[in-house]
Amino acid sequence: MNPQPNNLSRRDFLSRTVATAGAGLVLGAPNILRAATGGGSDDLHVGLIGCGKQGRVLFEAMSNIPGLHFQSVCDIWDYNRKGGAGKVKSLQGHMPTSYMDIDDMLSKEKGLDAVVIATPDFWHSPLTVKCLEAGINVYCEKMMSNTIDGARAMVKAMQKSGKLCQIGHQRRSNPRYRFVLDNLINGQKICGQIVNINGQWNRAVNSSQDIDVKPNLAIKQDILNKYGFKDMQQFMNWRTYRDLSGGPISDLGAHQIDIFNWFLGALPKSVYASGGRDFFKEREHFDNVMAIFDYDTPQGGVRAFYQVLTTTSAGGGYWESFMGTQGNIKMSEQTAYTSLFREDSAPSWDPLVERGFLKKKAAPPKPEAPTGGAIAAYESKPPEGFELPGDLPVITLRDGQTTTKPPHQPHLENFFNSVRGKEKLNCDALHAFNSEAPIYWVNPSAISHQPIQFTSEHLSA
Amino acid sequence: MSTEETCCSHEKSAHPCGENHSCGEKIALVYGALLLRLWLAVRAIQTGIEKYSGTNLSDQPVKVDGVPNPQGLTASESVKEYALTHYHGVPGALMKKFEAEPIMMKMKFALPLYDKILGPALLVLGITILLGIASRTSLFLLGLLYISLTWGLILIKQDDGVSWLGVHMILIVMALMLSAHNRLCILKKW
Repeated sequence: MNPQPNNLSRRDFLSRTVATAGAGLVLGAPNILRAATGGGSDDLHVGLIGCGKQGRVLFEAMSNIPGLHFQSVCDIWDYNRKGGAGKVKSLQGHMPTSYMDIDDMLSKEKGLDAVVIATPDFWHSPLTVKCLEAGINVYCEKMMSNTIDGARAMVKAMQKSGKLCQIGHQRRSNPRYRFVLDNLINGQKICGQIVNINGQWNRAVNSSQDIDVKPNLAIKQDILNKYGFKDMQQFMNWRTYRDLSGGPISDLGAHQIDIFNWFLGALPKSVYASGGRDFFKEREHFDNVMAIFDYDTPQGGVRAFYQVLTTTSAGGGYWESFMGTQGNIKMSEQTAYTSLFREDSAPSWDPLVERGFLKKKAAPPKPEAPTGGAIAAYESKPPEGFELPGDLPVITLRDGQTTTKPPHQPHLENFFNSVRGKEKLNCDALHAFNSEAPIYWVNPSAISHQPIQFTSEHLSA
Repeated sequence: MSTEETCCSHEKSAHPCGENHSCGEKIALVYGALLLRLWLAVRAIQTGIEKYSGTNLSDQPVKVDGVPNPQGLTASESVKEYALTHYHGVPGALMKKFEAEPIMMKMKFALPLYDKILGPALLVLGITILLGIASRTSLFLLGLLYISLTWGLILIKQDDGVSWLGVHMILIVMALMLSAHNRLCILKKW
């Protein structure tokens, strides 16, 4: 069961926080792990576990990476399994072997270098542990697990097996995010002191509806039960059930709260959350959740507000905004949502533009002159706008078309190059755990209407 | 003596519909037929050509202080180009909407087939209309093609597009009505 907040003194808490080490420090540090079989062949034999929507997204990104041979696919739903196998065939010219059951696959398939897991969250931990114990490197989608203990088991299995386990926080390998962290936040410190973070993922009601399936495509009841699903409705909509997932805060929020922790190089000391079933009243998970994380950083205190709303798209999509005394960086996986602003009082950023760190944005139209002198006296001057000087690299697809590299591809490339012994993982299971651990406490805080002060029991692997 | 009276040998001539037209009116009708033909041909040909358009992206590493950044950020440039590999009969965004329609789900073969023939059909009909090859039949087939597009847009509730195609249909009917005054044709038959 969840550890309860205790009555530690601040001094005790801080000493424990430091002792949890790894904690803050590992968030910003590159991974220490690389493949034990480093220096091997560039050709890798890969198994796909989970061929649903996210599995297809990952496969599309992997299909651009040379040297991968997709040896087998595994999915309990024959509709997904056949679809996944068909896509593999169209890519590499022959069918992979197909399995419904992971144990069957692991007992029969020899020579797998890596598996890519994209299943419902509550299967992440058991599958990852099985594969690592079988000596196979694992790329597993985030959230690591639906429970913190499940995530802990993944870290332990990775450490015990000596195999690689990358968690799918793909922004960690995104050149735009890495450029901002390395060059703008840490290098040039353009934000000054970061004092606040806002982040959100707002999604419209029509994008959050339950998914139906035709009765003739349904999985047999005994198979559903065997793999932990009550019925087909639960199978298709596992994200809304408490025993199967962490709900929107982990489903959508995990990516972005990970960025809070990674960019600050720190873990929060507390969380206070609120949530409700405001529109989807029958769902087990909250449809709207808001959380405030408190951080102590070497520069000072930071509060981070995060909201995930699955009931409205108002507020402009998904982004993370780092607000500092000298500037603001609003980041998003979507280039269109990304922007940077210089505070009027900060030194000019023109030298940074000349050196190539930034591009200047066209000046926005000047607001009308305020008529009320009293109001004008309290207003800040509009900040100067900038943008990043580039984007993800361009790739040529198999059909000859050119496009920007899909956002998951750099993270997958990092994983496979680490398996090849050429790189280090950008987000192994331990780093991911340290960053994800606070997220597991958002729902408990929202349910209990109580803030949770973190101790090592909450956050340690 | 008016210009109309000097421009042709017969002041009045019989119209196929039984109407009589002055020489000036005849010229106007010929010009009208040519302009309509040209408009419809250009519209069809360029729309067909655009089905083969796409963008070619190229990129360079972003340089900071003259050195490529190690994070791999690149600055890309987009150039429009035409190639067979860019072909898309039905635009991707519309394709997804059609695929989600129950009627189209029951005729799964139809959409890929339509996607394949739409671009070439526009090009062929545009060229035959431009060159005056079987103009009436070409105009009739172009009308049928626009009806098929209209049906699709009704299906996905794109009322603006339906109205837009309605204007095209009026122009085609006008062109057919003026076909007796068509000139500069390679094949007048049909």
